[in-house]
Amino acid sequence: MKRKVLAAVFAMGLIASMAGCSSGQKEAVSKVQTTAAVTEAASTAAETAKEEASGGGAYKIYLITMDQMDQHWVNVDAGAQKAVKELGNVDYKWLAPDVKDDAKQIECINNAVAGGAQAILLAANGPDAVTASLQEAMDAGVKVVYVDSAASLPAIQTLATDNKAAGKTAGEEMIKALKENGIESGKIGIVNVNAATASTVAREEGFRSAFEGSQFEILETQYGEGDAAKSKDIAANYITQGCVGIFGANEGSTVGTGNAIQEAGETVIGVGFDKSDMILQLIKDGNLLATMAQNPDVMGYEGIKIAVNALEGKDTGAENFDTGVSVLTKETSN
Amino acid sequence: MQEDIVRMQKIVKTFPGVKALDDVSFYLKSGEVMALLGENGAGKSTLVKILSGVYPKDGGTIEVFGSEIREMTTQKARELGIAIIHQELNMCQHLTVAENIFLGRERTRGLVLSEKEMNKEAAGILRRLNIDLDPEEPVGNLAVSKQQMVEIAKALSMNARILIMDEPTSALTSKEINDLFTIIKKLKKESCGIVYISHRLEELKHIIDRVTIMRDGRFITSMNFDQKRMEEIISHMVGREIKQKFPRVSCRKGERILEIRNLNAGRMVRGINLELYEGEIVGIAGLMGAGRTETTRAIFGADPKETGQIFLDGKEVTIHNVEDSIKAGIVLAPEDRKKDGLCTKLSIRDNIALPNLDVLCGKLGIVSRKKERKMTDETVDSLKIKLANAEVDAGSLSGGNQQKVVVGKWLARNSRVVIFDEPTRGIDVAAKVEIYNLMNELKKKGIGVLFVSSEMPEVLGISDRIIIMCDGKITGEMAATEATQDQILKFATQFDRKIS
Amino acid sequence: MNSKRQSWFKRLFAVRGMGQVVTVGVGLIVMCVVFGIINPTFFSGKNVANLLRQIAPILLIGIGQSYVLITGNIDLSIGSVVGMSCMISATMMTKGLNPWTAVLLTLMCCLIVGAVNGLLVAKCKLPPFIATLGTMTIARGVAQIVNNNYNTDAIGDGAKGFRDFFYYGKVAGVYNTVIIAIVLWLVFNFLLSKTRTGRHIYAIGSNIEASKLSGVNIVATTTKAYLVSSVSSCVVGLVICATSGMGTMDAGNAYEMYAVAASVIGGVSTLGGQGILIGTVIGASIWGVLQNGLQFAGAPVAIRNIVIGAIVVISVLIDVIVRSGKFGKKNKVENQVLDQEALS
Repeated sequence: MKRKVLAAVFAMGLIASMAGCSSGQKEAVSKVQTTAAVTEAASTAAETAKEEASGGGAYKIYLITMDQMDQHWVNVDAGAQKAVKELGNVDYKWLAPDVKDDAKQIECINNAVAGGAQAILLAANGPDAVTASLQEAMDAGVKVVYVDSAASLPAIQTLATDNKAAGKTAGEEMIKALKENGIESGKIGIVNVNAATASTVAREEGFRSAFEGSQFEILETQYGEGDAAKSKDIAANYITQGCVGIFGANEGSTVGTGNAIQEAGETVIGVGFDKSDMILQLIKDGNLLATMAQNPDVMGYEGIKIAVNALEGKDTGAENFDTGVSVLTKETSN
Repeated sequence: MQEDIVRMQKIVKTFPGVKALDDVSFYLKSGEVMALLGENGAGKSTLVKILSGVYPKDGGTIEVFGSEIREMTTQKARELGIAIIHQELNMCQHLTVAENIFLGRERTRGLVLSEKEMNKEAAGILRRLNIDLDPEEPVGNLAVSKQQMVEIAKALSMNARILIMDEPTSALTSKEINDLFTIIKKLKKESCGIVYISHRLEELKHIIDRVTIMRDGRFITSMNFDQKRMEEIISHMVGREIKQKFPRVSCRKGERILEIRNLNAGRMVRGINLELYEGEIVGIAGLMGAGRTETTRAIFGADPKETGQIFLDGKEVTIHNVEDSIKAGIVLAPEDRKKDGLCTKLSIRDNIALPNLDVLCGKLGIVSRKKERKMTDETVDSLKIKLANAEVDAGSLSGGNQQKVVVGKWLARNSRVVIFDEPTRGIDVAAKVEIYNLMNELKKKGIGVLFVSSEMPEVLGISDRIIIMCDGKITGEMAATEATQDQILKFATQFDRKIS
Repeated sequence: MNSKRQSWFKRLFAVRGMGQVVTVGVGLIVMCVVFGIINPTFFSGKNVANLLRQIAPILLIGIGQSYVLITGNIDLSIGSVVGMSCMISATMMTKGLNPWTAVLLTLMCCLIVGAVNGLLVAKCKLPPFIATLGTMTIARGVAQIVNNNYNTDAIGDGAKGFRDFFYYGKVAGVYNTVIIAIVLWLVFNFLLSKTRTGRHIYAIGSNIEASKLSGVNIVATTTKAYLVSSVSSCVVGLVICATSGMGTMDAGNAYEMYAVAASVIGGVSTLGGQGILIGTVIGASIWGVLQNGLQFAGAPVAIRNIVIGAIVVISVLIDVIVRSGKFGKKNKVENQVLDQEALS
């Protein structure tokens, strides 16, 4: 009997911890409420917000990202916190699932609304999956701003890297460097994350578009789940197949690509995405040509500002705000 | 004068809710075989498990070879030379015979196992015991009787001075039983003391010197064994006189209920034809491996059959699977109660309800608790199943009561033919009689009763008609009144080919 | 001459579990040939060296999971321990700690996980699925917390020796990782097949009750199996750290499942008590060859997932059908030969 109780307690503890949602301060928010209650709470919150706003009270704004591990999101949060500090009238919280998962992110959205959010900054994991709960939130008066990845529901603004354009830039940089080495044709390999994440898919699209009309042959894309070790294996295999250029579509893929090029010691041109200490190191050592560094902090910073503007009824500007990429190379990253 | 090598005095053992042993005393002399007798639940297994260190005692003293042992553990028991052969086989199926024999005391040279040595030693042990087995054979490939011989070899290889055997012959063939008795006689000569637990009272006369009888967790009496005093022994075990070991009722033979024509199912069921009438019990006798269980399973639809027609009350029924059989009204109480007859982890009520859910469920498939309880109560009453309440796990009942649940669940749906496979295996004397009475009740009601048994006295005692099988075929048939043990054996060994 | 060869052949198959190993071994060879035909670069020296190095980590976690499966349990924490090992070692190295000290400390942390697993399952009698699910979550949490929820920085030039030892270095043309895997395989195979501990591991997987009654120490044996598992996971985590040159929090994700696949394909039974480590070698190799070969064949991802999934399912099916049928109805004496004297 005792053993069964122990097992049950253990199991419940597990389920609670895996219930997906945790805040930036590592509090587990695991309240599950019905939709009706959620909308109720939200509309009352929105009303109190309007009252508070005119009285100068704090705005409740939530940031919901895809997970909390990627440095990318950490930087978005950092930028948001900077804006919060400057403005001084924001009650700010960062929520995200422990792994990239549509259902878990929906839970986070619901939790935010139940918690009284007046505005939500969202990086949508799946553009269509979250629309239903987002619509409910909007109906209840919550202002929605997209950061990094938009959902397919129109919102106040989308602050993101134009992934497609950035991908194209990456491709162009690669072609330029190859031409400088006198290489006009050959195999190109792409190390992507998975077939579902919109941002990385868009980057690949942009990258491929740069190669249209060229003599290069782009091989079948391989997916490394963003795991640096897996990506390294994939890139190494590409090199064995004689690729002259390899593209990594996110941080992990890029690290793996750089490591593979370093090991192979051959003149393979590697171009990647995102910024991290390791990636900069690889660029410095000449194993990666360049990386498209996003500006996640700008997303967070401007996102908060736009959200507050929306809550105060002020003008929020254009629908799309391209937070841009910086092309970091050996020269420019120093 | 033989000395006591084991003295257990005033042993007390309590499990939650039940006093398993109440002031029990037990003495064993060197060089003797002491039978420990008692009904199921009398406490025999508990007592020997305490002696062998599996359970700790709650009170009393144990003296082995003259010195008192305060805390007996399995390790200590082994050191003292106490070996126990358990009732249930405890073999690791994936390991070889030699590996099982040496399990827990493997011989090593430093870190490395001395496999060759152990194999050789095991071969020696088996040879000395006249057991014909390859020590490198995985135990799982062996028949149950051979596995039991390995179990015995394992215990004996530990140079036991005190050997406890709990139902050692339940799965053995007659030849192996003879071999075992030869071994026991040899051990006696070597001054080994043996505790022998068995329900097969007829075997006792071959080897037993003394008996200790227990009942309801208490020590009743201990005496020298004398075949002529069997009835006295039984009455001590049961606490009352058993007038008739095999209660026989005579009924008028009525219509033909069941007819099987040309049943073929693999090597073990070849061309079986049999008939069953109202008002009679038919017993199927034969040796292990004769195909009796396979035949019952083929009739019941548990195994696929190649050919065969089954007629119930004159009409042919198609049986492709167990469901068909149950619907037709032919049911089986299987050989392995715990494995195939009951869901031991479910309650008694669940077990009784299980095959009757079609009757108990409403339109939406919801079980009517009221009907379920009624069915359970009726079954428990009519079969006199002894239980605290019907919510108890079926696995916790005694063997006899378990068997009653197995049969009870069929009776609740008015079956037409009830087939029993080894109906009283592992059940004590008194409960056996209850099962026989149950079979007689069915006979009286006009329900067809067919049973398979390896206990010759049982077959002779209860059946009206006896069918004998050998090597998949029916080799003989006779009325019980005309049958003798020798005759049955003759037919049971009538193989097609001579085996040299 | 003929009879001599036959006895060698027969003795090979007499080893338990060899049947399935040989079958999948043949399958492996066929697979390699097919991939080589589709893209001959698959057979190039460079790829073979790379391929072996890609197989090595799978073999290591496969060994660990095989040990646990043979005892009749399962270890779901393998992937998280890999991640934890990667993160702990990387974090310590970025903070300036000597790489080998970091390795030692990491090993200790992983051993703790193994010990906890063993105690939860054998002493507290928790079902292994639940117990290791718990340690899986906790270990992953540790991996995240150890560097404050960030992936680490580069572990720096001071760690070059470490990176070479575990991943980038070669001996006689064979990558160190492969050598490490082979050495550990030899050690663990010896332990499993030639020592008392190994025998007990098979025994408790085959019949835990019988083992207990024979005096086998269940807690110690179960824990030893889990310790082997966490040690191999630790090594894989170090390998990944060396590969990437940094610590990544989601390293090892889902590795426990690859470990099960490698074990099962190689003939280790999920029911316990059966399987040999040479089979795990084949299982890991099949896994590695698939990942590598399908890339060289240019197969789209969907095909790859389906192929891999199908192979695992088929292997488990073979396992279940053969194992449970084998020791099933042995009460029925099918081939028992009875003498005329088998009377009275």
